[in-house]
Order: sequence, then C-alpha cells, then structure tokens
Amino acid sequence: MEVAVLFAMVVGLLMIGVPIAVSLGFSSMLFLLVLSDTSLASIAQSFYQAMAGHYTLLAIPFFVLASCFMSTGGVAHRIIRFSIAVVGHFPGGLAIAGVFACMMFAALSGSSPATVIAIGSIVIAGMRQAGYTSDFAAGVICNAGTLGILIPPSIVMVVYASATDVSVGRMFLAGVIPGILAGAMLMSAILALSLVRAMPRGQWLGWGEIVQSGTDAIWGLMLIVIILGGIYGGLFTPTEAAAVAAVYAFVIANFVYRDMGPLAAGGGRRASSILARPWTIVTVFLHRDTVATLHEAARLTITLMFIIANALILKHVLTDEQVPQRIAELMLNAGLGPVAFLVIVNLLLLVGGQFMEPSGLIVILAPLVFPIAIDLAIDPIHLGIIMVVNMEIGMITPPVGLNLFATSGVAGMPVLRVMRAALPFLGVMAVFLLIVTYVPWISTFLPNLVFGPELITSSF
Amino acid sequence: MNGDSSRANLLSAAGRLVDRLEEVAVAVILGLMVTITFVNVVLRYVFNSGLIWGLEVTLVLFAWLVLFGVSHLVKSGSHLGVDVVLTRLEARGRRRVALLAALVCLGYTMLLCKGAWDYWAPFAGLHETTGRWLPTGFNETTRDRAWYETTQIPMLDFLRFLEPVLNEGEEYEKLPRLVPYVILPVGAFLLLLRLLQATWEIARGRSDRLIARQDDADSPELPGTGEG
Repeated sequence: MEVAVLFAMVVGLLMIGVPIAVSLGFSSMLFLLVLSDTSLASIAQSFYQAMAGHYTLLAIPFFVLASCFMSTGGVAHRIIRFSIAVVGHFPGGLAIAGVFACMMFAALSGSSPATVIAIGSIVIAGMRQAGYTSDFAAGVICNAGTLGILIPPSIVMVVYASATDVSVGRMFLAGVIPGILAGAMLMSAILALSLVRAMPRGQWLGWGEIVQSGTDAIWGLMLIVIILGGIYGGLFTPTEAAAVAAVYAFVIANFVYRDMGPLAAGGGRRASSILARPWTIVTVFLHRDTVATLHEAARLTITLMFIIANALILKHVLTDEQVPQRIAELMLNAGLGPVAFLVIVNLLLLVGGQFMEPSGLIVILAPLVFPIAIDLAIDPIHLGIIMVVNMEIGMITPPVGLNLFATSGVAGMPVLRVMRAALPFLGVMAVFLLIVTYVPWISTFLPNLVFGPELITSSF
Repeated sequence: MNGDSSRANLLSAAGRLVDRLEEVAVAVILGLMVTITFVNVVLRYVFNSGLIWGLEVTLVLFAWLVLFGVSHLVKSGSHLGVDVVLTRLEARGRRRVALLAALVCLGYTMLLCKGAWDYWAPFAGLHETTGRWLPTGFNETTRDRAWYETTQIPMLDFLRFLEPVLNEGEEYEKLPRLVPYVILPVGAFLLLLRLLQATWEIARGRSDRLIARQDDADSPELPGTGEG
C-alpha cells in the first residue's frame, strides 16, 4: 500500500516537470524519513557510494567517452560510406544502409540516442535528398538507433549486470545474436515495403568501394574487437576495457581520422600527419576539441548517474520494505509459470519504460523480478536481454522516449510526428520482443558457448 | 545608468567564467579517471606493476564528477524530465507548475544538504546537526571520526596541517576520509545555489522549466543524448 503511494508520488512529481532523478530521490527520502529510522546522513552516504562503491558502473563514463570521441572524430560518416557501399544498391538501399550503419555504430557506442544522433544527423538528410519522405527516414533511424543498447557495448547492460551481479561479459555476448536479428528484421521490413511502394535505390559502386570504405572504417570498428576480445581473452575487466576503448577512440579520432584535434584540417590547412607536427602529441591534451569532448561525455555521465544514484535510494526503500519478497510470494502463490511471468515482466517494463529513463528503471525493477526469475529457472542473462529489448521499445514511445527526442532534434521534426513515423517499425520491434522472450536460445547460446553454462549460486 | 550596465556586464562575465571553470573541471576529472585506469592496465601488462591507489582514486573521482557536476547541469538545463504536461499549459500556468517543481527540487536539495553535512561532519571532527528533517542545532556529543583513513590513497603533504588540528598531532598514514567525502556538502551546497538561481529565473519569467526541452525541434541542445 505504502509502496503504491510512493510510486504515485514519483509519477505525480514527474508530471509537473520535476527532473526524473529528483522525483525518485525526493519521494524515497520522504518515505524513509516518515516510515523508517534511516537518517538523512545514511541517505547521503548511499548517494556517495552509488559512484564510489560500484566498480561496474565505472564503465559507464568510459563507454560514453569512447562513444563521444567516435562521434566527433568522424567515424559515423566512414561507417555510413561503408554501409552504402555494401547494401546501397538494394531497393530502399539508403534506408537499409542506415539500419546497417546504426548496427555498426551500436558496436562502438553503448547508448541509443547517441547512435541516433551520430548516424541520423547524416543519413536522414541524405535520405531526403535521395527522395525518401522525412517521416520514413526519421522512423527508420529512430528504431534502428535503439540497437545501441542491444548490441554491445551497452550502458543498460552494464547497469543490469551491476544491479543483479551477473557478468557484464556474458551480457555483452548475449546481445550479439539478438542485435543482429533485430537489425536483419528491420532491414527485411524495409525490403518488403520497397516491394509495395517504389523506393529509390542507389548504384552498385563495385567491390573496390567496399574494400576502400571498409579499410577506412576498420579503425573505428576495431573498437568492438578490443572491447570484446579484451574481456573474453581475460585481458581486462569490462571497466578497464571501457577505459582502453576510450583511449583508443581518442587516439584514432585525433591521430588517424584527424577530423578533430590539433591535426584536423582548418584555417586553410589540410589535415596534417603526426610526423609533420610531432609536438601535437602533447598539445592534443589541451586542445579545445579534447576538452569539449570530455565535457560532453562528463555531462552525459552526470545526467545518467544522477538518475541511477537516486534510483538506488528508491531501490533501498523497496528492499527495506521487503517488496521483492512480497511480490515473489504473491506471484509464486498464484501458481505463475515462466511464460505468464515473462508476460507480466514485459507489461511492467513496457509501462514503466514510458515514464522512466532505462537505466533508472532497470535499477528499480531488476531486484524485483530477478529473484522470481531465479525461482522459475529463467536464465538471468535471458531476463537481462528481455529487459533491454523492452527498454528499446520504451525509448521510441512517449512521454519519455529518448530516441524520439534525439530523432526530433536531428531531423528537425516535432516529437509527435517522429512518434507516428516510428510506429510502423515499432510493430517489427514488438514481434522481435516476442521472439526474444519465448526463444531463450537466441540470448543464451553465445555466452554459454564461450563461457560454459552458468551456475546459479546465489539468489537475493 | 552607465555604472549599472557595466556592473551587470562584469557580473555576467564573472558568471561565464564560473561556467567555463566548471566545464573544464568536470572535463579534467573525467580525463584523470580514464588516464589512471588506462595507465594501470599498461603498468600491469608492460611493467608487471601498478598504482595500488589507482582504483580507489578513480572511484573517488567518479563520485566527485557526479556530485560536483549535478549543479553544473542545472545551469545548462540538462536534467531529464517529462514535459508533456508543461507544454500543454498556457504560459502563466506553466510558470506556476514549473515554480512548484522548482520548490520540490529545493526541498530535495535541503534534505540532501543536511544529510551531506551530517555524514561528512564527524569525519572532519565537526558536529552533526540534530533534528530529523531540518537541522535544529548541533549534536555536541557527535563521535569524532576524523582519524578514519582511506584504504590506499597516500597522504598528501600539503594536507599535513590537518594532523595537529584533527588527529591530535598524529601522522595520517593515508589520506583521511574527510577529503574525499567533502564533495558531499560542497556538491549539495552548490546544487542549492544553482537551484535558487534557476528558481529565481522562473519566478522572473526568464525561464519556464528546470528540465531539458523536448518539444522544440529547433533546440540547439539535444536532450538526453547519453541515455541508455
């Protein structure tokens, strides 16, 4: 009962325009002060520990930074050029290339809106010029961008792993097949649409272009090899992999692609080589592009972590009140099987995803559903992927649809119009969610192949 | 008249300077976090050694980044929220609702300020406040925790002046915890300042919300670009 009041209060505060983080934190604080003997000092402590006590979450700022260097460093247009070379000559080619580019960028970035912005800001304009409608272009990119959190690395997976103590490496691997499947489904949907209505197709540019654009893009795409290779090779922890990825992206952006930093073209000068201006290896750290990119990544990290830190306070309330145990009891007593349970989880996440930012929602909901899933013998990795896919759908549905906002920004269209444009492909994502939910194999095959089957040793 | 406008100019220049300093500060903190983590990986593989304090310092910096940066984001209006209701109200109603939201944020921050002080004060040999919701006075019997040290972070020499004051003249072998934790009261206080500023802007009609804009396709700032 009290918990219902708590959630009603969170939603009420959200509606009057209180920031998500404060809505969560303020409601939880009131709740703790009134109903428990938790002191404000211990709330402040848990706030500090949200960062200082969570080694796994430390991967978030590093992945965000890597993604920022990749976006400003010009990897997006190289990936797009490669995609167009590979699939551009199909009917609806540019749209398919957009999806393909989103998939590849998703492998460099752990965030969906970042994927939309990096790819969308180039592809949407290009599609309009090629004769696609604005709505179609925006709808395709808005949906394909959600792959950012499904294809590793993924910030939402890091949060899930941190909240449930499953391995980040397993989660990342588990996202690979579903990510490719979702991308393939979106591409097939575009192909199918192109049979119904005429769509522009590009020219086949030849194998030479594929090789050339591929070698140009490979520097960026190596990032995912470093991350996954490093983690699975046991070279470093996911957090270290993220830091290495950030440094790698920094080097590639400044010294290989040179679209930013001291060697970039500008002021009547062509992009120069590091050999010609060796001192830049020092000055690069003070260059305004470096500072600006660091600031941008810091800004995104702070927004995200502020929400997560407050969601952790709310989670603290729920565990204090023994809500997970009560819900588990309720569900198990009702004789719920795995299938019915997953339906409920999906509904819960879909509704929650409308109002909340994905990472915050995972922090709150994972502890609620995780113990039940373990009791019902549902693989925690499978549950994680289901949650991620639900979050993807939440990102393209209002009122808090981060991808809608990002797309509306890059396409210069009102949010409502983007939402309508995204609807047809939302159907594809819904079918995809059903497949992922009821075919656990898709999620668990790769991690079990690489790491061996998971042993569940602990439950909450 | 002239004096007034030049004073206003000076103030806004000072404001911009502070904003810029904050931007650089968060950039530097993040840069340090990456560098330390990366250097530790390199040391491990190339030199088979490592900075034993590396991880702890990185985690402290992580907390500093967020706790310091939260106030900075209020200024740039980057905090995420739901504005479907706000955008459907006419201007006056919107301002009232936004003002209400701002008051909620201020309430939150005041609670956070009290909590942050109460948590930090014992580590700095100071008294925590009494009262459950609002500070009603100082608790003179607060247990002194100034001798608590971090696990691995070495003591910095320029902080040795703390020893006679807080540690009865005994040497700190490691950095005392009051140093990393100080960001709690500082960050909470800065957040309070920035929120008062933002509330004032709303009351004066110069702004109509605390959260990132989402309705406006032409907005230069893209909201929530880092999420999920």
